[in-house]
Amino acid sequence: MKDQTARDSVEIEITGLSKVFGQGAAAFSALSDIDLTIRTGEFFTLLGPSGCGKTTLLRVIAGFEQPSTGSLRINGREVAGKGPNARPVNTVFQNYALFPHMSVADNIGFGLKMLGKPRAEVAATTADMLRLVKMEEMAERKPAQISGGQQQRVALARALAPRPRVLLLDEPLSALDLKLRKEMQGELKRLQAETGITFIFVTHDQEEALTMSDRVAVMSAGRILQLGSPHEIYHAPRERFVADFIGDTNFMELPVARLEKGGAFVTLPGGSETRAELPEGLTPVIGEKVTVVIRPEQVQMAPPDAAEMTGTVESATFFGTDTHVHLRLSDGQGFILRRQNSARTEEPAPGAVMGLKLSPGALRVLRD
Amino acid sequence: MFRRSYSVSHLPGFGFVAILTFLMLYLPILVLVIFSFNAGVSQSIWEGFSLQWYEAAFRNRQVRDVSIRSLWLAATAAGIATMVATLAALGTTRTGRFPGQTMIYALINQPLMVPEVVTGVALLIFVAAIKVQTGYTGMGYLVAAHTAFCIPFAYLPIRARLETMDINLERAAADLYATPLQAFRYITLPLLVPGILAGFMLGFVISLDTVVITEFVKSAGQDTLPTYMLGQLRRTVTPEMNAIATLFLALSLMIVTAFFLITRKRGA
Repeated sequence: MKDQTARDSVEIEITGLSKVFGQGAAAFSALSDIDLTIRTGEFFTLLGPSGCGKTTLLRVIAGFEQPSTGSLRINGREVAGKGPNARPVNTVFQNYALFPHMSVADNIGFGLKMLGKPRAEVAATTADMLRLVKMEEMAERKPAQISGGQQQRVALARALAPRPRVLLLDEPLSALDLKLRKEMQGELKRLQAETGITFIFVTHDQEEALTMSDRVAVMSAGRILQLGSPHEIYHAPRERFVADFIGDTNFMELPVARLEKGGAFVTLPGGSETRAELPEGLTPVIGEKVTVVIRPEQVQMAPPDAAEMTGTVESATFFGTDTHVHLRLSDGQGFILRRQNSARTEEPAPGAVMGLKLSPGALRVLRD
Repeated sequence: MFRRSYSVSHLPGFGFVAILTFLMLYLPILVLVIFSFNAGVSQSIWEGFSLQWYEAAFRNRQVRDVSIRSLWLAATAAGIATMVATLAALGTTRTGRFPGQTMIYALINQPLMVPEVVTGVALLIFVAAIKVQTGYTGMGYLVAAHTAFCIPFAYLPIRARLETMDINLERAAADLYATPLQAFRYITLPLLVPGILAGFMLGFVISLDTVVITEFVKSAGQDTLPTYMLGQLRRTVTPEMNAIATLFLALSLMIVTAFFLITRKRGA
């Protein structure tokens, strides 16, 4: 467990930050009015599709790009306008950007050398870092002589060696194959726990974001749409984009029957009413349709007479641990259900009518 | 066996044209080299093997003088041109895009587009005016003219190298607390060395080879090897010229081979 007081102190504070590329008619707003606070020692993830601004935000924090407006404070000091060499922040690049003409050890020691540290200290820290990423054997090799996964470790060690306050990681695992990626995910978590350094991680992979992060900011079109723990982002998405981007999701357009504190009763296809959670500050009009969302694993199969709604099986795809059943609801909307499998369960046959029960609290109304 | 569905080598006449082209390229040179070893004075009748024309060339004081002048001029001009070209290449690849960038490329590459003889005449008039004003008649004019002429040839490989170099390397250096100057010293420059060497060698060969510009710019007693040879050929053509040309060829081949080896090593 991390120290609670350390977690509450602010590492990075971004207010009213925007970034515009180009001028006049060709101007493109890559970041609009970003407000963001990142706490010391947390594993923070910027998640979004390509072009959403997550990499631009990372580069603004690193100092490769300067913000057009707004303020950026690292450990209380304003750094907007300062170059990357004047910020206590180091980056792990997507393509690693290891210096090809230097040995692994010289790559790792570069930052300390530039900081003017004595030779002995550079050598000692380099040795520590080589041990930390388990690359002692490779110290004298050139980057071209080691594998992609090893290059990844060297890039990490190089960025950690100067003991930055914040480590920025720009989709560092995207070039690795699946098995190595899983391994490195664990490795990154371990390194973060061991060093206590704040990690800001950029990815378009929602699974990576959910498994690794303390908090996630979901970005789209230069804005942060939602910020919260992986649990909140997954189970309580506020907007359609967030729900759609993370995991498989069922969206339904349903009329509101009545309201109660913090929730709305919506009418399901087939006529029964059920409670859906409301996002803060949203008050739907009774009788009008709202968009509700429910995850495919939060729906259970039930006998049709004991079910809240029914659907006709269109197809079923077997994934081993579970089966994805594609249904057509009685009002014509499509619906996906994810059923846990055991050796006994039978695959649903197309055309069969299936009863569905929703997990309590699983249905949520979305902002549009 | 797998056979390509489309290959130009199956077109009629392909082999004939290819062989003819290579003959045209290399046969005259081969003949020149062969007759540099002729025992007689003839360029067409073989009278036996001899190294006498090489001896004659080496004994010829003038040949020695113009050769040294050529090499000195080529080294000086290519050296200055490479420095200027390196700065120009950095200026056109390591800055943000600026208006008129394409124009700058065109301006730098002027010698590739303006006919050499035009440049020659222009320089002749220009240099003559300066000579009248200052009275200076030294090698400075040739150095300046050759330098300007060599810049685009030095610029092209250096720029090509910079363009293929990952800009994230310099970003990484800056991220790791290097000042812009340190990033250049420790990252950009070491990685650029092959491009700089290639640029220097190209410039060197081009300067060594230039006749037209030298002919227009040179003062009395400033012959380079090519202009000297041209002067000699106006009189009698002895195989001594063949010997000098063959040596010149050997030098060029050595430089080109070195250039090839350097660029190939970096490609691996």
